[in-house]
Amino acid sequence: MKLSAIRPIALLLARELAITALLILGVSFVVFIIIYLSPGDPFGTLLKGQTTLPNAPENIRGALGTPPAWYAQYLSWLVNMVQGDFGTSTRTGLPVLNEVIRVGINTLYLTIGSMMVTLLIAVPVALFAARRGQTPVNWVLTMLAYVLSALPVFWLGYIAIYISMHHFGLFPLAFASSAQKWSWLYFMFPVLVLGLSNGTTSEVVRFLREEMSRVFSEDYIRTARAKGASIWKHSFKEGFLIPITEIIASKIPFILGGAVVVEQVFNWPGMGRMAWQAAQDRDFPLIMGITLLAAVFVRMGSLLQRFVHILVNPRASKE
Amino acid sequence: MNSRPVLKIENLRTFFYSKGKRAFVRSVDGVNLRIGKGETLGIVGESGSGKSVTALSIMGLVPGEPGVIIGKIGLKTDNIQKNLLQDLRDYVKINMSTGRIMEVYKDNVGWQKNVDRVMQGIRGTEIAMIFQNPKLALNPFIPIGKQITESIRINTPIKKRSQARERAMYWLAKVKMDSPRLRYYNNPYGLSGGMCQRAMIAMALSSDPSLLIADEPTTGLDATIQSKIVDLLADLKSSVGVTTMLISHDINVIKALSDNVAVMYGGTLLEHGPVGIILSAEHQAKHPYTAALLESIPREKHIREKGYLQAIKGDVLDTINIPLGCRFYSRCDKVTEKIQEKCDNHEPDLREISSGHSLRCWLYYE
Repeated sequence: MKLSAIRPIALLLARELAITALLILGVSFVVFIIIYLSPGDPFGTLLKGQTTLPNAPENIRGALGTPPAWYAQYLSWLVNMVQGDFGTSTRTGLPVLNEVIRVGINTLYLTIGSMMVTLLIAVPVALFAARRGQTPVNWVLTMLAYVLSALPVFWLGYIAIYISMHHFGLFPLAFASSAQKWSWLYFMFPVLVLGLSNGTTSEVVRFLREEMSRVFSEDYIRTARAKGASIWKHSFKEGFLIPITEIIASKIPFILGGAVVVEQVFNWPGMGRMAWQAAQDRDFPLIMGITLLAAVFVRMGSLLQRFVHILVNPRASKE
Repeated sequence: MNSRPVLKIENLRTFFYSKGKRAFVRSVDGVNLRIGKGETLGIVGESGSGKSVTALSIMGLVPGEPGVIIGKIGLKTDNIQKNLLQDLRDYVKINMSTGRIMEVYKDNVGWQKNVDRVMQGIRGTEIAMIFQNPKLALNPFIPIGKQITESIRINTPIKKRSQARERAMYWLAKVKMDSPRLRYYNNPYGLSGGMCQRAMIAMALSSDPSLLIADEPTTGLDATIQSKIVDLLADLKSSVGVTTMLISHDINVIKALSDNVAVMYGGTLLEHGPVGIILSAEHQAKHPYTAALLESIPREKHIREKGYLQAIKGDVLDTINIPLGCRFYSRCDKVTEKIQEKCDNHEPDLREISSGHSLRCWLYYE
């Protein structure tokens, strides 16, 4: 790579890091306030039905050295977090960082896999539509994409489990060990379900089709045709690469949301399921950790988008 | 005119659907042209007279979905001899009644595939094209040099990347790009319009085409750059000598570069002949439209005498409702009592009135 191309990317990285830091600060504060204001507290939930002592939660809090004031609690969490200490889960006592990374990888696998499934369905339809215009075949394919997107994730998930379990006896409902027969199918199902019905298929089709056909009508594509070159090659950057990264980046939050449901349905040990459990337990440190990881995922998506945009179009770095 | 033709267009018609497919826009309506080897044919006319659509029809690059393209475009070069509109009829069903097209059923996908198949090996290789607005016509994401190299590797026997790059550098120097070795790596947005047009010209010529179509090569450039591009094209004409179809609404550009001139109006040719006859002010026997075009060139003398810029009165012909008679009749100021009836109701045909000079006007017929 030429030296001139590195400078804008370095600048971009620095700026993105600063924005990410601010974002983490904001997100953690808002989330903290929300859990703090919501009814119930971690130790009350934890000790429910296990002790008759009315002041047991206060005693534990005192023993752990939790400051009473909300701002002091947030600040102590923030200071520890900046030093790399995300605390321990109030329920399991395990360090939050390790837990979150463990489930985060599972969720990342689910998210990326389902994005791939979505793209595998949407991209051919979109490109075909952009090249050939609205033909009957195309219309049917597009409608199919819309119907797929409209299917609720939980419904499709249960249907998939029902059919595969009861009609084919394919896999057990527990997270399968890799030694088990058909275990790869277990991994495939949630990915497929989330990929099919995360609601982004139709949007990818629409967005990519519009962008691609806009680029196809650009003057420089006419020039490419006039010299006998491939129009796909010439439209690739503006018509495909930029829109596709843009839509991936903008859809990551939706897919993470869908992942919460899918992980519940399939007992997938991922971030979404852990977040749900942590919210039930009012598990402050764990909720905060998961929220931060989700925020980082989303930022990574938009970073990818900016990165590709600058690589493709050096003008963008001057904006 | 006597050398054998590279391109021979016979009765070309390119019609577009108007909104709702209720009528046809007859953008090109019965054009006959021939371009001899080594000749530069200038096509002149107001905007909307069908010049660009003629060029795009030749290349099979008509934008959108044309209703129909019929006629014959014969290309005859050292390597290839074929009718570029061959087999297109298979994809269209035309209902004609009383000589007029009433309905068209068309298989657009099949049509487009056929066009692409026929044009394979012709676009770029045999016919190269220069477009207007060079900054938009070059791919903004690829350095200009790479675009030229790509064209060379597709359209010439040079396939090795390094050799093609050397060749591209040669052409960049040939079109007088300053410091071609640096400019090679520039994307179009880093260059001025004039430089982009030079790169366009280099790209078109680099494939050593049999025919070059220059569609308004000076449009969208400022005046000083325009004259430089014209100088460059004149230079290249003498040094490279490629057969050229030059389209412009700028008469001075046509005058500077052409051997023969065709004047287009409302989708047809009104006049065709050597540049010396058609575009010289002294030669009197010319079509009223050509005369009016020449009048409308801003000249100091005219402005002094009249105090305003001379324009042709009226608007360009509405190509949906073609009149029965002469297309220029409604704007013509040379109609006489004697021929008025004919002008209004009968379209004159293109007749040769002197050697190599033909026109379409009742004034000059017996």
